[in-house]
Amino acid sequence: MVKFTVEEQRKITDRKHNIRNMSVIAHVDHGKSTLTDSLVAAAGIIAQETAGDVRMTDTRADEAERGITIKSTGISLYYEMTDASLKSFTGARDGNEYLINLIDSPGHVDFSSEVTAALRITDGALVVVDCIEGVCVQTETVLRQSLGERIRPVLTVNKMDRCFLELKVDGEEAYQNFQRVIENANVIMATHEDPLLGDVQVYPEKGTVAFSAGLHGWAFTLTNFAKMYASKFGVSESKMMERLWGENFFDSATRKWTTKNWLPDLQAWKDKLWPMLEKLGIQMKPDEKELMGKPLMKRVMQAWLPASTALLEMMIFHLPSPYTAQRYRVENLYEGPLDDKYAAAIRNCDPDGPLMLYVSKMIPASDKGRFFAFGRVFSGTVSTGMKVRIMGPNYVPGEKKDLYVKSVQRTVIWMGKKQETVEDVPCGNTVAMVGLDQFITKNASDLPKLVEGLKRLAKSDPMVLCTMEESGEHIVAGAGELHIEICVKDLQDFMGGADIIVSDPVVSLRETVFERSCRTVMSKSPNKHNRLYMEARPMEDGLAEAIDEGRIGPSDDPKIRSKILAEEFGWDKDLAKKIWAFGPDTTGPNMVVDMCKGVQYLNEIKDSVVAGFQWASKEGPLAEENMRGVCYEVCDVVLHADAIHRGCGQMISTARRAIYASQLTAKPRLLEPVYMVEIQAPEGALGGIYSVLNQKRGHVFEEMQRPGTPLYNIKAYLPVVESFGFSGQLRAATSGQAFPQCVFDHWDMMSSDPLETGSQAATLVADIRKRKGLKLQMTPLSDYEDKL
Amino acid sequence: MADTTYGSCCIDEVGALHIDSECVVHYGQTCLSPTSVLPAFFVFGKASINVSSCVKHLIDYASKSDKPIMILYGLEYAHVIPQIREELGLSKTDSQLSVANVLCSFISPSKDPRESMEHPRPYSESDSSDSLSSSRSYRLGGLTWDLPEGSKIEDYLLFWIGSDSSAFANVVLTFNGCDIVRYDAEEDSLVTEFYQQRRILKRRYYLVEKAKDANIIGILVGTLGVAGYLHMIHHMQALISAAGKKSYILAMGRPNPAKLANFPECDVFIYISCAQTALLDSKEFMSPVITPFEANLAFSRGSEWTGAYLMHFQDVINSVKSESEAHIGSEEPRFSFFQGGYVEDHKTNDQAKNGEEDTGETMTLVQAAEKALQLRGNDHNSLTKQTAAKSGPEYFLNRVYRGLEINSENTLPEPYIVGRSGKASGYKHE
Repeated sequence: MVKFTVEEQRKITDRKHNIRNMSVIAHVDHGKSTLTDSLVAAAGIIAQETAGDVRMTDTRADEAERGITIKSTGISLYYEMTDASLKSFTGARDGNEYLINLIDSPGHVDFSSEVTAALRITDGALVVVDCIEGVCVQTETVLRQSLGERIRPVLTVNKMDRCFLELKVDGEEAYQNFQRVIENANVIMATHEDPLLGDVQVYPEKGTVAFSAGLHGWAFTLTNFAKMYASKFGVSESKMMERLWGENFFDSATRKWTTKNWLPDLQAWKDKLWPMLEKLGIQMKPDEKELMGKPLMKRVMQAWLPASTALLEMMIFHLPSPYTAQRYRVENLYEGPLDDKYAAAIRNCDPDGPLMLYVSKMIPASDKGRFFAFGRVFSGTVSTGMKVRIMGPNYVPGEKKDLYVKSVQRTVIWMGKKQETVEDVPCGNTVAMVGLDQFITKNASDLPKLVEGLKRLAKSDPMVLCTMEESGEHIVAGAGELHIEICVKDLQDFMGGADIIVSDPVVSLRETVFERSCRTVMSKSPNKHNRLYMEARPMEDGLAEAIDEGRIGPSDDPKIRSKILAEEFGWDKDLAKKIWAFGPDTTGPNMVVDMCKGVQYLNEIKDSVVAGFQWASKEGPLAEENMRGVCYEVCDVVLHADAIHRGCGQMISTARRAIYASQLTAKPRLLEPVYMVEIQAPEGALGGIYSVLNQKRGHVFEEMQRPGTPLYNIKAYLPVVESFGFSGQLRAATSGQAFPQCVFDHWDMMSSDPLETGSQAATLVADIRKRKGLKLQMTPLSDYEDKL
Repeated sequence: MADTTYGSCCIDEVGALHIDSECVVHYGQTCLSPTSVLPAFFVFGKASINVSSCVKHLIDYASKSDKPIMILYGLEYAHVIPQIREELGLSKTDSQLSVANVLCSFISPSKDPRESMEHPRPYSESDSSDSLSSSRSYRLGGLTWDLPEGSKIEDYLLFWIGSDSSAFANVVLTFNGCDIVRYDAEEDSLVTEFYQQRRILKRRYYLVEKAKDANIIGILVGTLGVAGYLHMIHHMQALISAAGKKSYILAMGRPNPAKLANFPECDVFIYISCAQTALLDSKEFMSPVITPFEANLAFSRGSEWTGAYLMHFQDVINSVKSESEAHIGSEEPRFSFFQGGYVEDHKTNDQAKNGEEDTGETMTLVQAAEKALQLRGNDHNSLTKQTAAKSGPEYFLNRVYRGLEINSENTLPEPYIVGRSGKASGYKHE
């Protein structure tokens, strides 16, 4: 079935003008993978008839089962254009054959990392938007991301079949609908004006918007129609294009433009399908005439307007070739000086230049324990047996850490479910390589197996964080419930089926204070010769967020910092200069501030107090969770006259105790993470959504009907703790009509007092302490505070 | 006073040598660690125990399980063991019961501590291939026992008579694969729940992982008597420098949080001491304190913890020997569970140089970047930013206060001032 050979494909990889690297991005369930299928079908890898049902790029069993894409998958397509269709193409080209390296990426918010990985190695993006649901959260996120990477987008309004078959909207309404969708997308794109990239907005009349039905495998751009009409009515193609979109209607009888549009026309065609088909010169096999309804429409449209032609043409015409794209993307791609030979090689996409390659992700290979390194060659040519230098993620220019030399054992071109080995791959192409991982020897015992599995998991997914709990338990941290579920499954696979005990998901909390300490607390050093007086107070609203965002941080210019603090948060100018440290990890959203006046030797103990603060802010007194939004003030210190008696041995633990004591006297509270949930559902499902949200302590803060559709857009806050099983329950309560997307939004203070036994927060604290293997009882204040 | 400052179980050989003694008599709880210079005689003391009740519990328990039982005990109960044996012998159920022996109550130092290392007795599981001995003998906390050929300690049920002491904790850690029951003589009851002890094992695992991320390591000398301690220290030093890290040796008596906090630059401490005092774990310590065995796991590349746990120096060194032969350093970067990713350890300079020669051309970009100017902030006003220091001086550079404050604006000579004299407890002028 494959219409082309590897040799053919390899040959085109040299023609840098005829390559398009692009990714397919969209919100979950807008039909990326399905649409991709149509394109794959055009290349002859799968049969045209099954296109839309196979989901070629969903290679994993769990992907097929859930019907969503989990991992981004690369696929290289060969496409031959006809001379006729290329005649209006003005850019540089090299023959009629084109190679399209396409990456299908997941749309679920939990797998955003996969999208990020895909974007870096592509130059263009096909943004898929559901014509009914419109531009959603994830569409917006990935679109912004891609524009940040200087990736030129084209838009396709997908699921046209739904519009006609399910909603049965008339032409005018549908037109308004599409217009709105495109406008919404353009609004996002317009905010990312980039002089190098030029105008990135999409216009149907320019051919950068396609209309498609992935499931039915048809799509068209206005170019298609323009061409058709142009030849029919003898109007120039470009003029036709402009007129086709908008409030114009070409009356075929009078040959005059009126202010209607082409859509009713399309609608009318469908009524008079048969005669029209003949008119259009489409040959139908007799048995196909028997088909009715949906399959009929599918077949007809597929034959008339195959998705691949329209989409591929759109990509070839409007997305940049690597040669064009690398010219302006070099700044994004290369960290070093932009005038050296490496930058020049990237800029010119020079196949003879030094090899520069970006590995975007590690794909687990079929033989367990090995990985393909999947990436894009930006300059030079990568070939089998070549020695490459790998700069790891922690590589710092000028240091030798995280830098290795490996040789490429095999270079591979990815074609959906199978891979083809090739001799070499020149710049501008995506490539998978074998040999850049390390063969990991297997061990008999289970613990090393687990460790090994965790390592592999971390390698294959950049968004997973494998860490460890104080009690010796391993923690796998991910972006969301679904993500974690997939990770655990992968982990089991990596371990070769060994049993692992998976505990309930753990949500990390933060410790904070509610008000200023009720008194100044004092702690004495172990030798009783030094005294430290401290107070804790909550930070001003928004300050912790400002620190999170990096607007305020340890490496700021003190003058700018104190200006921001004074102007936005009402700090005293002098006080703002006396911040000793941020914590935990020197950048966290807590501070220690010096409020002392005229104390001797204070600078000597500063390091010790800061060390104690870093320690304490990492492990709060309640449940040893990180602290957040607390400002500690050192009010007074009494120090021993001899340096040796106020050394760090004495002061670090004292500072820690004083911080704990001051927090415990300042009404300590827990902060819990809260998701922002976006749900789209028809009106009938609203009741179910509300009741599930209520059960889960969630509350709705926005409810909006999507104009032109019976769908409602609901935004709600939902505590992360409650979110486990949420999407399942929601689906059950709405009979599968609602699908939530959860994104972390903010930290919310829990109102109950963790110091009061029996309160909700207190039980939570007890649970965490038990999990961490701490003493069940919190250490009382008296252990931290000393009396004079 | 025969006890050292490090713990009451060890013999203070240095103290004894000060008074030219030729033998030491040690009373009370002991770890029976081999001494290096002086012969020693141990008096274990005799704790009271209800022998018949103990035996009754034992037999009851034995009848419930089909595993053979190994009886171990705290040394303070050594005096009743013959009695227990006798009673068990009377009610001879089967040959399923075996009792450990006290090693001896007299230790004479081996002439050369190294010698005992070179010719080890078969100590632990890892030596199972040793065909010379027909049976395998175990030693732990002053007890010794043999297992018949073909049986493994995992098959046994360990029955411990005595209190929940550090000796018992050692048993639980070392034989973490066995079922263990403890008979508490004071309470006259059986304890079968050892959740807490198992937890210790997990916690130690965590500490090992944490130690892997350390750059500066303090070696705490926790014994001056146990045979082979110097060898162990040298071994640790070699291990740490081979891993490209920096080590400092500290002798400070029994460590406590305040003392260790005086060395905030150390990311981890290795406590070299006798087996029973080795486990120091408290949240109060700023940096974790680990044993030489754990250090071995942490700093030798490629070694992985399989669950076995060793406490004695000899065991540790032996295990290292067998391991280092089998293991050839892998090139793969290490995975850190704390940074959640792969990290490359800082290699010592000469190692890095070797690598450089190999790869000449590919290195050019790196070298160029290395030589390029880098912008450094003016560190006077900036707040402390965490950078992982690789040695003591480097850590010191990051500190705000560096001891002396030199007033750079005023270069005029300062007048001479008479300082204080005397001790901190009372100065001359006070």
